[in-house]
Amino acid sequence: MNHGHTPLLSVSALSKRYPGVVALNGVDLTADAGEVHALVGANGAGKSTLMNLLSGAQSPSGGEIRIAGQSMQFAGPSAAQEQGIATVYQEFSLVPQLSVSRNIYLGREPKGALGLIDGRALRTQTIALLERFGLKLDPDAEVSTLSVAEQQLVEIARALSFEGRILILDEPTAVLSLAEQENLFAIIRQLRRDGMLILYVSHYLKEVLAIADQVTVLRDGEKIATRLTKGLTVDALVETMTGASGAFDKAAAPRTMRDEPPYLVSYQADTGTSTLTLAAGEIVGVAGLVGSGRTTFAKALTGNPLPTAIADIRRAGESFRFASPRAAMREGFVYITEDRKRDGIFTELDIVANATASALNRLGRGPLRDVRREKAAASDMLTRLRLVASSLGAPIGKLSGGNQQKVLIGRALLTEPRVLVCDEPTRGIDVGAKAEIHEILRDLAASGVAILVVSSETEELLALAHRIVVMHERCFVAEMPVEEADDMRILLAASGGAEVMEKNNGN
Amino acid sequence: MSTLDLLRNEATTRFLARNAIFAVLLLVFCLAVAISDAFLQPLYIFNVVRQVAPVGIAAIGVTFVMILGGVDLSVGAVISLTSVFCAVQMGGDADNTAFALLAACAIGAAIGTVNGIAAAFTRVSPFILTLGTGIAVLGLTQIYSGGTARGIVAPGFREFFNFRIGGIVPVLALALAALTAVGLLIQHKTIFGRQLFLVGSNRRAANLSGLPTARVTVLAYALSGLFGAFAGIALLARSGVSNTLSGQGLEFQVLAAVVLGGTTFEGGRGGIAGTIAGVLVLVIAFNLVNISGLPYAMQLVVMGTIIILASAVYGQISARSG
Repeated sequence: MNHGHTPLLSVSALSKRYPGVVALNGVDLTADAGEVHALVGANGAGKSTLMNLLSGAQSPSGGEIRIAGQSMQFAGPSAAQEQGIATVYQEFSLVPQLSVSRNIYLGREPKGALGLIDGRALRTQTIALLERFGLKLDPDAEVSTLSVAEQQLVEIARALSFEGRILILDEPTAVLSLAEQENLFAIIRQLRRDGMLILYVSHYLKEVLAIADQVTVLRDGEKIATRLTKGLTVDALVETMTGASGAFDKAAAPRTMRDEPPYLVSYQADTGTSTLTLAAGEIVGVAGLVGSGRTTFAKALTGNPLPTAIADIRRAGESFRFASPRAAMREGFVYITEDRKRDGIFTELDIVANATASALNRLGRGPLRDVRREKAAASDMLTRLRLVASSLGAPIGKLSGGNQQKVLIGRALLTEPRVLVCDEPTRGIDVGAKAEIHEILRDLAASGVAILVVSSETEELLALAHRIVVMHERCFVAEMPVEEADDMRILLAASGGAEVMEKNNGN
Repeated sequence: MSTLDLLRNEATTRFLARNAIFAVLLLVFCLAVAISDAFLQPLYIFNVVRQVAPVGIAAIGVTFVMILGGVDLSVGAVISLTSVFCAVQMGGDADNTAFALLAACAIGAAIGTVNGIAAAFTRVSPFILTLGTGIAVLGLTQIYSGGTARGIVAPGFREFFNFRIGGIVPVLALALAALTAVGLLIQHKTIFGRQLFLVGSNRRAANLSGLPTARVTVLAYALSGLFGAFAGIALLARSGVSNTLSGQGLEFQVLAAVVLGGTTFEGGRGGIAGTIAGVLVLVIAFNLVNISGLPYAMQLVVMGTIIILASAVYGQISARSG
């Protein structure tokens, strides 16, 4: 901070109180143009609150926000936008049926004669915007046809179209593959060069250290410190965040060898057939970039095949090809979705209904339910998973992401699975719950379940899996025991460089 | 307020929202009593229940479909068809009664099954689908009956259902009570009942959780058709006259009652108890309209308004608590 210079953003003694809860308490923060400033903290630390206050989504209970020295009070998000603060939230607000250009300028389309939208002007304007910021998007594409990463670019383009000076990004990489993340970082760096202030909210500390210039750590609604990222380590950051050290529990449970023969999976994709083994007691991690077909494989394996994604499974003379999740479940193959909200939870139903959904027949008698047994089973399972909820009658939609995930794991476990396929098991879950879910998966493996974990977080795979397979263009291109795996090797294989490497190594 | 208190408060709100219809029923009933003391006489009350039995019975079936997130607009046509069919098959002979009743039920269930199969395996919206089957069934009824009232009910049939036990409770009212009990049993005690809510709440999640979503869908619509047939029989028993258009428009009363009872078009919530309360609110409101000397047409206005108001209120509630 130069003396005598007015910083672009200066926040002083900012507070937000709810009845009985102090979400943010006297936070001071300064950040300047041409800076990437990260906000980190465990869940509930106040990151979101601070972000919502800055973006005008909520108004503060006390304190002041100054932009370029001027005190601001936002009546709502659009007021903040007018003052040059644009926000890209983790959850998108695009209209899927409309084109990229319509989405970017939604409600602000250039009008022609008769007050109708001037399509040509809109297109020209969009192309100019996309070119200016180097965003590779087709202005005419319908948003529903875009990948998640592309949709995020649309959101960013929309935010940039307000000619803002401050861009807030909320967990921008949660949905991105490594390559897409690099692309996003390139865009962020360009924006920084253009003199924007980027506030970067994230759980992913490595990324924060890679992209941000400064990082502000929040804990329990208070600011703990603002540090330059230069020379800072993840461990040091975690220590500041939690007041204690230790990110991931590194030690994977020792693999329990079983006598049972393994499952041999032969996966036929449009790009060819590749194979994989799954053994009881083993956690297999599936790495790969977004778009490499991990989820499609995970779903095909558990009864959601596509014509171009078929999993044949063999074991000891038996062979299976599941046509429905129901059929897969009957043989003990269970899938836990990466998209909890859309494909996982029954939002308005209670915890018991959610936990027992797959096991009603098992818990009932013929066509009749055994309500008492359902309750007992759900309650036992959730105790085992260390789920804390005020009551089992609470609708699952009210629980935190981590607790929802525990309920989904509980649902899977009540079917007594032999092969558990977890797609991004800790996405959007805070650090504490993450460790618990890892612990649960380790225990399960130790009890003889074969576990397949699909994850975009290499750290997670390295911490959890016994063996890592890497997918590239819908095939398994590399396989390595975790002891021999590292970020580089995985990334190389995922990017299609594996064969070369393996040849060089002589295997 | 701690998080726990918040949760508790929400639980209270949820409880109130879920049971609002019973409070409304009480309110409407008190209003009715204030306006006319006829509402305190058992004979009158049971007559009202007898009167509403066909709609109530059909509403039970439609509730299943709506918990699933579907809708059944064909129920009015099913009531007409089964009612005429039953009268024609009886042909004024008591020996034909059993066959006529069973065959009518089979027809209702069959139409429901067709709806269910189409709903489970095609992507036609249930509104359009059941509107279509409703129109087609209406046509079939006209063809079958030749467009005029036909058939004579078997002797004893009408008398049986309208017999008042102890001089007060008509068998038809008991039938409604019994079928309500059956509905509640299906909803609460069977695996199918629980699966209805799961599929209605999130079909994709239900499918991924290994639920037999197609089977549940077909069964729900089949039940709606079957209860439609029960309603057709009840209507015939109430009036004793077969009319090819007798069920026409009843689907709207049914929908009004179901929505009023808290089973929304989005599915995943509501239930039979609410529906029956909704049916009673509706019939009391109609009788109030009658008593106050307003024309029948006014009932339609009341009904339309109720559907919109109820949907709006439940929409508000779920937006706040969802």
